[in-house]
Amino acid sequence: MNSSLRYLWGFKFFLFSIALLAILPLYLKNPFYMHVAIMTFSFAGLASAWNLIGGFGGQLSVGHAAFFGIGCYTSTILWLKLGLTPWAGIGVGALLAGLVSLGIGYPCFRLRGPFFALATMAFGEVIRIFAIHFRGVTNGSIGFTIPFKPGLRNLLFPGKIYYYYIELVFMIVVILISYRISRSRFGYSLKGLKEDKALEACGIGATRTKAYAMFLSAVLTGMGGTLFAQYVLFIEPDGIFSLDFSIQLILMSIVGGIGTVLGPAVGSFILSPISEFLRMWFGGSLQGLHLVIYAGLLIFVAMYMPQGVVAKVRRKPREIGNPSTSVQGQHRVFEKVKPVSNCPVEEGHGILQVKGITKNFGGLTAVREVDLNIETGEILGLIGPNGAGKTTLFNLISGFLVPTKGSIQFKGKEITRFAAHEISRMGIARTFQIVSPFGEMTVLENVMMGAFCHDHHLARARTYSQEILDFLGMTSKQSLWIGELTLEDKKRLELARALATKPTLLLIDEVMAGLNPEEVAETISLLRNIRDQGVTILMIEHVMQAVMSLSDRIVILNFGEKIAEGNPAEVSRNPEVIKAYLGEEYAIS
Amino acid sequence: MKTIIQIVVSGLLLGGIYSLLSIGLTLIFGVIRIVNFAHGDFLMLSMYGAYWLFTLWGVSPFLSVLIITPIFFLLGLAVQRVFVKPVLNASSLIQVSILLGLSIGLQNLCLLFWKGDYRGINLAISTSVIKVGFVDLGVPRLIAFIAALVISVLIYLFLKKTYLGKAIRATVQDRNAAELMGVDINRIYRLTFGLGIGCVGLAGPLLMPIYSVFPTVGLYFVLTAFVIVVLGGLGNVAGAFFGALIIGLVESFSGFFIAPALKEGVYFIIFILLLLVKPAGLFGQLGSEEIGAR
Repeated sequence: MNSSLRYLWGFKFFLFSIALLAILPLYLKNPFYMHVAIMTFSFAGLASAWNLIGGFGGQLSVGHAAFFGIGCYTSTILWLKLGLTPWAGIGVGALLAGLVSLGIGYPCFRLRGPFFALATMAFGEVIRIFAIHFRGVTNGSIGFTIPFKPGLRNLLFPGKIYYYYIELVFMIVVILISYRISRSRFGYSLKGLKEDKALEACGIGATRTKAYAMFLSAVLTGMGGTLFAQYVLFIEPDGIFSLDFSIQLILMSIVGGIGTVLGPAVGSFILSPISEFLRMWFGGSLQGLHLVIYAGLLIFVAMYMPQGVVAKVRRKPREIGNPSTSVQGQHRVFEKVKPVSNCPVEEGHGILQVKGITKNFGGLTAVREVDLNIETGEILGLIGPNGAGKTTLFNLISGFLVPTKGSIQFKGKEITRFAAHEISRMGIARTFQIVSPFGEMTVLENVMMGAFCHDHHLARARTYSQEILDFLGMTSKQSLWIGELTLEDKKRLELARALATKPTLLLIDEVMAGLNPEEVAETISLLRNIRDQGVTILMIEHVMQAVMSLSDRIVILNFGEKIAEGNPAEVSRNPEVIKAYLGEEYAIS
Repeated sequence: MKTIIQIVVSGLLLGGIYSLLSIGLTLIFGVIRIVNFAHGDFLMLSMYGAYWLFTLWGVSPFLSVLIITPIFFLLGLAVQRVFVKPVLNASSLIQVSILLGLSIGLQNLCLLFWKGDYRGINLAISTSVIKVGFVDLGVPRLIAFIAALVISVLIYLFLKKTYLGKAIRATVQDRNAAELMGVDINRIYRLTFGLGIGCVGLAGPLLMPIYSVFPTVGLYFVLTAFVIVVLGGLGNVAGAFFGALIIGLVESFSGFFIAPALKEGVYFIIFILLLLVKPAGLFGQLGSEEIGAR
């Protein structure tokens, strides 16, 4: 795939830079320059660590100073008070930072955008206040001075060159971890966090994804903290736990290119030298100057080049579909039979039983005592006027809502209170009425998110997704970005992503609304084809022509209650149904 | 018992001070849907304003408040135009970055000019106390409290009674619908930002007799104000006022019963608990969908 090419440029650049940096100390004799390099590497590693949750995951943490400080303090306290070598301290500190990050993360992960930022900022402040207050442990605002006793055991060395290589390795390790993540299912999950519902529908737990990323980010930040403390030999709470520190990490990521592998490091290479030189030139006389310049840059970059330097340099090459596969007939016949289904169930048993399900929203009962039995291999149409509770019922079955009462069994197994991602993993896939594609991915990548439900291997998921797209006649569009799609394509992409999870039961929510008659006809034959491959279908649809011709049975909801059920012919004669749709007077005639 | 009443009274007075800051913040959030991370730094600026006016020309803060408030209203209009308007539709990452940038920039500019020293002014009134029964009321705090009360009522009436106020409330409820009804959204945004910063301009001089000013003083206040705004319900002016009183009480009680140095810790923990349990705030539903409480 071209996407490996996309990384090649960056990879060459990375190797070349590393080689250059490895031999640089041969020529760099000036201790101040060495210091600048050490700080640059340190911040490059730290900003890259921040980028895991802040950039890849889009969760704007403004509290990373806390994790950094926990790293600094833990190893220092363990060494000064208990004589534990910093080699062990770095591990303990990192672990502690990780655990604390989960403690703060879990309450805050459901907060969005600025509020996650706010909560983490408040949290960082709490940690700082505690560090100042609990003098017995932390020495209060005086902090610690680490006695300089060089030795391998003490992780203290007689020359800057040692620290140069230590921080260089730290930076490389964090970048390699970022690289590895960016090319994995986990990386894609992080990228998908902005559409958290769609993510859950792909069998990926949003909270768990955030927690992993936060933990990893905090662990690496904590390690960076210990290394920093061992280098500067002096730590005090106002410097270490400062908000400015957290913001510097964000700034570097933004300047370099937020959410990219090399961006944060590039940001550090631009900004760290600026701040060190300013500090040297103006020293104490112009305190704050480097932060004024930082702030100006942050505002400038955020306003005028929000994609960052890396994106400016490296334009993503447009992957253009292979022309040989892009020629498609308007009415494609889906003759290619593919085993889409995960594991076929024995015939004759209902695949899904819903018993007495009820959902209240405050005083409003959206769904009341509904029973539903879906037979294996059928297409069941779910219709009803607007506000009848159809989508609510879908949300209950797929785990996006927890029912007030009642039970749901899938293949004889109780799934009533399962989380959405667990349910999709069991083989119930769904589409969304309001299409919710992952906006920053291509069509193919969107479908891959679905395939990750059963296959964590990137290349295999990609191949499988290409097969699905081929099956849906979308191969020519696989490299398009979401913004370039028509509504029909987006609706079909919903279907593709759901199919890619290898469902046995497919819930389809108004996939034909807004399509023209030709497109409807096409979709009808497509759905039939999917059913013929062993996928049971429950569909909400307002396009009557489609419902009547496709459904084996139809269930009608009105005001949250099931009012009728039967085959299309029976249902269309049912007076209750006519009343619900057309009003009282038509029912009488 | 006497101690308890004294704690309650000082808590309420403290709450009054906080509410001056929180009302502007909640207004800006409710209307523009942007979290003003630089809010506290404008407070810091207005405190410096009052400090220099007093130190250089001997203008009493109670007089300079009349000059500083309108200036800050205008400053708010300008800041909105330059920094906020261009990124109204940008991602929250960009918005947060710009406002944080503004915050750090202002802090460090002041650090650059006036160093990190704590600067306070000495007025006779600073230490004067009115005795009501057995309860001591610090005069500057009482003045700030009354000012906060008056401002809250005025803003409340403005929102309820005037056309502009109604237009602002309509914008809070539905941006697009308000625009379709002929409300000039950009004007509303400008005005709201001006009002919010104007409130801060009012607060700064009134705080000068009580607190010292230093470059990061805003951070201390703004974090408190964030807690209050969430507590009171985002965009809810009355909620911000009562939320401020509650946080004032919490602070004075925890300062007395736990430890003064940990009072911020206490209400940040309340903050996090609140976000967990009742993210829509105590007094309002507004904006809850924005923070992720579905």
